[in-house]
Amino acid sequence: MSKLKKLKLSNYVCYIMVAAVMVVSFIVAQTGNLPRSYSNLLVQIAYSIILAVSLNLVVGFLGELSLGHAGFMCVGAYVGSYLAMQLAEVIDNKLIVLILSMLIGGLLAAFFGFLVGLPALRLKGDYLAIVTLAFGEIVRTVFKNMSVFGKAMGLSTQAIKYDSRQDTSLYLVSFITVLVVLFFVQNLVRSKHGRAITAIRDNEIAAKAMGINVTFYKLFVFVIAAFFAGMAGVIYGHYTTPVLYSFFSYNYSIEILVMVVLGGMASINGSIIAAALITFINFQLQSHLSGDLAALKYLIYALILIVLVIFNNAPKLAPIKDKLSPKLLFAKITGKKRHPGDIRSDAGDWRVIPTKIKMDEVLSVDLQQNTEFTPDKPQKGGK
Amino acid sequence: MSTIFDGLSLGAIYALIALGYTMVYGIAKMLNFAHGDIIMVGAYAIFTTLAAGGHIGLALVVAVVVCVVFGIVIEKVAYKPLRGSSPLAVLITAIGVSYLLQSVAQIIFGAKAQTVSMVSFGSMKIGSAEISIASVITLVVGAVIMAGLTLFVRNTRTGRAMQAVSEDKGAAQLMGINVNRIIMITFAIGSALAACASIFYLMQIPSTEPTLGSMPGIKAFTAAVIGGIGSIPGAMIGGVLLGVVEKICLSIPVLAPYTTAVEFAILILILLVRPIGLLGKKRREKV
Amino acid sequence: MKKFSKILALLLCLSLVVAFAACGGNEDPTDADAITDGNVAENVEDNDADAASDFSVVGQYTANNTEYFIGATGPLTGDTSSYGISVQQGAQLAVDEINAAGGLNGVLFKFDMKDDKSTAADASTGYDALYEAGMQISLGSVTSGSCESFASRADEDGVFFITPSASAASVIAASDYAFRVCFGDPDQGVLAAEELTANFENIGAIYDNSDPYSTGIYDAFKAKMAELGVEYNEQSFDAENNRDFSTQVEALKDCDVIFLPIYYTEAGLIAKTCVAKGCDALLFGCDGLDGVADQIDETVTNTIKYITPFDVNSEEQLVADFVAAYTENYGVAPDQFAADGYDAVYAIYNAMLKAGVDNVTVAPEVLGDAVVAAITAEDFVLKGLTGEMTWDATGACTKVPVIVTLGE
Repeated sequence: MSKLKKLKLSNYVCYIMVAAVMVVSFIVAQTGNLPRSYSNLLVQIAYSIILAVSLNLVVGFLGELSLGHAGFMCVGAYVGSYLAMQLAEVIDNKLIVLILSMLIGGLLAAFFGFLVGLPALRLKGDYLAIVTLAFGEIVRTVFKNMSVFGKAMGLSTQAIKYDSRQDTSLYLVSFITVLVVLFFVQNLVRSKHGRAITAIRDNEIAAKAMGINVTFYKLFVFVIAAFFAGMAGVIYGHYTTPVLYSFFSYNYSIEILVMVVLGGMASINGSIIAAALITFINFQLQSHLSGDLAALKYLIYALILIVLVIFNNAPKLAPIKDKLSPKLLFAKITGKKRHPGDIRSDAGDWRVIPTKIKMDEVLSVDLQQNTEFTPDKPQKGGK
Repeated sequence: MSTIFDGLSLGAIYALIALGYTMVYGIAKMLNFAHGDIIMVGAYAIFTTLAAGGHIGLALVVAVVVCVVFGIVIEKVAYKPLRGSSPLAVLITAIGVSYLLQSVAQIIFGAKAQTVSMVSFGSMKIGSAEISIASVITLVVGAVIMAGLTLFVRNTRTGRAMQAVSEDKGAAQLMGINVNRIIMITFAIGSALAACASIFYLMQIPSTEPTLGSMPGIKAFTAAVIGGIGSIPGAMIGGVLLGVVEKICLSIPVLAPYTTAVEFAILILILLVRPIGLLGKKRREKV
Repeated sequence: MKKFSKILALLLCLSLVVAFAACGGNEDPTDADAITDGNVAENVEDNDADAASDFSVVGQYTANNTEYFIGATGPLTGDTSSYGISVQQGAQLAVDEINAAGGLNGVLFKFDMKDDKSTAADASTGYDALYEAGMQISLGSVTSGSCESFASRADEDGVFFITPSASAASVIAASDYAFRVCFGDPDQGVLAAEELTANFENIGAIYDNSDPYSTGIYDAFKAKMAELGVEYNEQSFDAENNRDFSTQVEALKDCDVIFLPIYYTEAGLIAKTCVAKGCDALLFGCDGLDGVADQIDETVTNTIKYITPFDVNSEEQLVADFVAAYTENYGVAPDQFAADGYDAVYAIYNAMLKAGVDNVTVAPEVLGDAVVAAITAEDFVLKGLTGEMTWDATGACTKVPVIVTLGE
């Protein structure tokens, strides 16, 4: 019983984190002490979290590499903001306009998610990755040339933009959106549908044999992820003006992917932390390195990225990392032994989950690899 | 007609870059996003040598040496520690390396594009259209490198070891192949190819800047996938095809703004018809 | 599980209520924002009472300023970084000069540019950082897209800015406090169309369809050409994806003149492609072409002409001094971006001088109103590197363009 309870608490950690940040900043804002740069940073963090969590659905849970997530955001940002400006003329309430445009922008992005999901049925690994990248580039090239959306000048969203001085409530709305997205995603991955999705990731053929509708679930994941990314795009459109195609390049898709990978595949809490952290690092670097020092920004960012990834993932560093792990340290201090019945904390670790992203075959026989048996790992070879 | 020729010469550059890309991918099984930036490194090496009064031949040698050293160091520092880890982790460090190279180049050489004075080979007439000799050389060199690489991989000991590593790292190791060494050699060859690509790139586009590599890098990736990742002739065909398509699109004013979209749409179409690229090897799916 | 869901649902409802309350609250003018905006409101009344500004009003973030703080954002990394860096260096040079001469009544100036990679989102982040660091007056952003974003923030705070190079019409339209040093895009397009049709028969044009500056000029050019009823041959490229211009030059090979409403980096490549393709057309561009001299070598034989307010080879004393100082400091010759950055700083300096600013901690919105009044005054003329400039209330700058010719 106690074991179950513990598990549950960890499931709600992300809600508590997000809600706590929201409530604290709201209280600070009420006292008038929240600098505007921070309320704007919170908006950025909120849409980054939505993007990272939704991309994690595709990469971490479904196991397909997608490099076109910014493309869905692009659809949401352009179409959603355009609609919001039309709606704003009819409806007087900003919040309702935002929610409606978020739904519509999301739905249109979801339609594109469906289109991208179709090749996903046929393509594997890196081939799918380049198709998603191609999709992202196609989308923004097309938007760039549409005169409705201002062509290369971008779509000016001045009319609907939240005035950052008068009305700082955009971060609240964004954080509530984050909570709704989390609520949906957490429940999805823990439902039977979520298990079906991870089953497809772990072994598609076996999943098919079990009677799982692979076609449906693959499309479903792409559609859902695109829907959320579209919503994030609409928030972006309300946050800044103009909506400019150049923002949504594959570089941004990769930045979202970096958040997912740093946070850990199939780890929603990880994605949230990584998204917040990376946005925060970028924010700090940008705020502090100005003028002649700006060129150092990418240098530092790149070094942080390389060091973090190597430290997190290098097999040779694993023993050192374990020694530094706070959990183990805590266990050592309290003298607690791991109960064999406990579900291992790395059961969902992406390093021990073979993914369909190429090289899994190589990985599984790699002698360097820690090939310890884990309950989640499917056995290879049995035809 | 001249559009086709222009496309061929542009495609030849894409093909050269894609060859390096596909080598690294085929053997190390990683998307080396920093490959384009190695070309940038090569371009700056050539620029510096020429500016110091060096001969073009010397510049090529310097570029090859610098790129190979960079390639090996990057592999040792950023990729090797992650061997046996998820390919996605390597993808991220590759991106990190790409940012790193760009910002270092900007710090050293400044952000402004530097013009490179290359030797002009002039152009020759075929029928009514003109084609520059430089692009003919690029195409010929590309074809020679392609043939050389194919022979190398098929017939030498190292080449066969590469094939083995590509097929199954663990088994190759059991057979006594030094996997780390083979991967290092692969990176060295890939980087040398990038250096060659940079000199031909500069012959057609005689200007270098820190972000020079990102666009050709992504185009070469596309070309490699069109041809089938890991296939050497496929990279060549993919590159040339992409170059010709790009030039044809640009020559039609209505289509010109959509050039990138058309290129990528063709990629998607090809992959939908042949999910493994034009010349890709089909991999049997294990259960 | 159920219990947790209930708690969660409750939490969600609560947070929604809180959010609604917040939204509703902010529409009420007597609420929280009135506290933070106290200064503004008071000041507006002051302004109504007497015309002269009260510079003793201290801004929320400017209380600790010991120097007048000029802020800006611009691309300092990425594809367009060379333009941002030029502006930064030109502006810094001007600030150093002013400070060396004793500043404004003994108070020095400080200049800082944040990197925005030419994106709207980063420009607003940069703006926030600057504003909270005590920025009082600004050069806006270097590129049009980011400057529009900058302008929307600056408008909220009443921060005056004068952009050196964001030439799109929407930039100065976005705020009453937005001014510019450069020509507007549409004006240049119209001017080029008139110039070209008057002198040439067979006209071609290559523009960058991914760039606001280029499309801005080109759209005006296209409209003017249609109005004049002159046929011409159009080609385009996408600077992000195309670096090889053989197709475009091939198509325009037989033209007498090729109109290039683009930046100098690509123009240099086009000039070289012209050589390779044996095309001897005259290349005609706008102010973005300034700096092309560094991008071509002796092999280029085409004549290049461009409309610009700034001629690096000018014999005027002011320009010659600037070029010498710039070259000494940064090791390269200045381009028009640097000159515009330099002039923008002097515009701010002179306007502040005219307005009689005497308090280093003056609030940005107070300074903004005063500087707008000063710069739009009938007798305010700035003699800068880019000619004699005057400004009207729209924020547009009036100055006489010159046409510079290279390689005749």
